[in-house]
Amino acid sequence: MNYVIIGGSAAGVSAAEVLRKGDKKANITLVSDEQEAVYSRCLLTYLIAGSIDQSKLNFKDKSFYKDNNIKAYLGERAVAIDVKKKKLSLDSAAGISYDKLLLATGASAKVIDIPGIKKKGVFTVRKIDDARSILAMLASVKDVAVLGGGLIGLRDAYALRQRGKQVTVLVKSPQILSQMVDVEAAAMIATVLKKNGIKIENGVAAKEILGKKSVEAILLDNGEKLDCQMVIIGKGVKANTELASCGLKVKDGIVVDKYLRTDDKNIFAAGDCAQAYDVARDELRVNALWPCAVEQGQIAALNMLGKHTAYQGSLSMNSVDFFGLGCISLGITKPKPEQDYEVLAKTKAGTYKKFVLKQNRIVGLVLVGDINAAGIVGPLIRNKVDISSIKHLLLEDSFNYAKVLPLVARFQECFKQAEYQDTIITY
Amino acid sequence: MIKKKSRSNKAQAKKEIKKGPNIKIYCDISKCLACRSCELACATEHSVNKDLIKAIYEQPLSKKRLKISAVNNKAVSIHCQHCQDAPCVLACMSGALAKDKISGATLHNKDKCVGCWMCVMACPFGAIVRDIEQHIAVKCDLCPDRKDFACVAACPAEALFAGTKEEFEKRLKDKKDKK
Repeated sequence: MNYVIIGGSAAGVSAAEVLRKGDKKANITLVSDEQEAVYSRCLLTYLIAGSIDQSKLNFKDKSFYKDNNIKAYLGERAVAIDVKKKKLSLDSAAGISYDKLLLATGASAKVIDIPGIKKKGVFTVRKIDDARSILAMLASVKDVAVLGGGLIGLRDAYALRQRGKQVTVLVKSPQILSQMVDVEAAAMIATVLKKNGIKIENGVAAKEILGKKSVEAILLDNGEKLDCQMVIIGKGVKANTELASCGLKVKDGIVVDKYLRTDDKNIFAAGDCAQAYDVARDELRVNALWPCAVEQGQIAALNMLGKHTAYQGSLSMNSVDFFGLGCISLGITKPKPEQDYEVLAKTKAGTYKKFVLKQNRIVGLVLVGDINAAGIVGPLIRNKVDISSIKHLLLEDSFNYAKVLPLVARFQECFKQAEYQDTIITY
Repeated sequence: MIKKKSRSNKAQAKKEIKKGPNIKIYCDISKCLACRSCELACATEHSVNKDLIKAIYEQPLSKKRLKISAVNNKAVSIHCQHCQDAPCVLACMSGALAKDKISGATLHNKDKCVGCWMCVMACPFGAIVRDIEQHIAVKCDLCPDRKDFACVAACPAEALFAGTKEEFEKRLKDKKDKK
C-alpha cells in the first residue's frame, strides 16, 4: 500500500503517525514545501516574542520521520495530481504513485493588494522563515504597524510588544477579534492591550506603504501618516486549494464528506485546507485551527487505512492570553438576533462569561478572565446535550465538571467514552 | 474508628500500589466527605519542599491538581482521567502534552509548555489548571516522586482509589458483598 501525504504540519504529521500505527508495512511518503520538519506554526509568535528559542519549536521529536519509517520529501513542492494514474508530481520532476492520498496542504497568509506591499520590512507570519526574517531585522526596528485586529494580527502585535517595540494595530472594523468574540469580550481584551502599550486604531486601514526600498511609513485611508519600519499583515489565512484543481470540489476549502474524503474516493483532505462539517453551525466550514487539524488528520488516516471512521465535525475554538488575561471562545459567539438564540451573560470583577443557547443546547461560549470551565462546555456543544436541568448553574463561579455529572449519568448516549463512564461509576 | 481503619489501609496501600498501565485515580462519590485533604496533599507533594508547612511559605505557591466539588449534596474529586484519546494531547500545539507509551498516562512536560491554554480549552473534565505565575498548565502527574499517590494516601474516607477500572469495580463489589 502506498500512502502519500502532502503537508508536514498538524494534520499531515498526525495522519502519518496514525497510518504508521495502523499499518507497519505500508510505504508512507510525506511531501512538504518547508525544509524544517515537525515544527509548530502556532509557536512562531512565541519565538518572535523571545519566550521560547528555536529548540522548542518542534511538537514531535526531530527524528519523527525516521522513527516512523516515513519517506519525507522536505523542501519540495507538489504541483499536480493525476487522479487517473494516481500519481503526484513534484516540482523536482520525480513522480510519486499513491493508493491513498491526503491533502494536508494547510493555508497561506492572506496578503492585501496595496501600493508598496512588496517593500522590505513587510511580513506575514506563517512560516518559520517569516519569523526568522522578522527576528533578523528586529534590532533596527522601533515602530511596528500591524494590519488587522484578528487573532493572528494581535498575536504578532503582542509578540513584538514583548520585544519592546512601539506597536500600532490598524483595525478596520469597530472591534478587535471580530471573528472570535463578541463586542464585550473584545473591549476587555482591547483595554488590556492598550494598558500595556499596544495602540489600537479602529476604523482605519492602510492605503499605501511608503518608503524607498524599505518601509518608512504607512499612509492611512483617513489621510494620516504612521511612521514605522516594519509592517505585519495579519489578515487571516486562506486555504491552499491549488492541488484540488485536478477535479475536486472547492468552496472556501477543499470540500470533504464525513469521512474526510474528497470527491475522489482515493483522495482525502484534512486541516486548514479542508472544509468539513462544523457541529455548532451545522454547515460545512473551514476551521483553520490546530486541534481541528490534528483530529482531522487522525480521522482521515483511519479512513485511508480502511477503518471506516466518521468525523463528528469540527468546532471553532480559540484561546488567547494577552498580558495575563485569558480568553477562550467556542462555536457561535455572535448569534444573529433573528435566529432565536438565547444568550446568558455575566460580567463580574474583570471576568466575562457568555453562553449562546439554541433550544436548550449550547452552541457558543465566550469566557474572559476565568476560563477554567471552557473544556467542559466543548462536549456539551458537540453532543448537542439538553442542558435545561443545569442552565441556572452555567454562569456560576462554581460551574465545573461536577455540575455536569447528572447529565453524563442521564444522557449516556452522548457521553460514551470510557472516561466519562468512569466518573459516574459511583454517582 | 474510621480514622484508625484508614490508617492501616494507608500503610498497606503504600506497599501494594504499583504504577503501571491504565492506572488512574478513582473517586467513590458515595464516600467523599469533601474534607479536601487530597487537595492539600496534592499541593504539598508538588511543592519544592514536599512539606506542608514549608510549602506554605514557597513562592510561587504550589498548585493542587485536583479539586473537590459539590454535586447534588454529594462531593466528588475532579482530576485528570488520563483519557486514552486525550483531547488535551490533541489540542496541545507545543508538544508539551503526550501519552506515555508504556503506562498510558497523560503527561505534561513543563519545559515545552508555553501557556496557550489550548489544553484548558480541550479538557472535558476541566482537570487542567493554570499556573498563572509560571504561565504553564498544571495537571495530575500520578506522583512520579513517590511509590503511591499523595491524594489517595491522604484520603481519610477511602473515597479515593488508585488502580485500574477493574480493580476499582472489584473493590466496590467487595465492599458491597461485605455489607
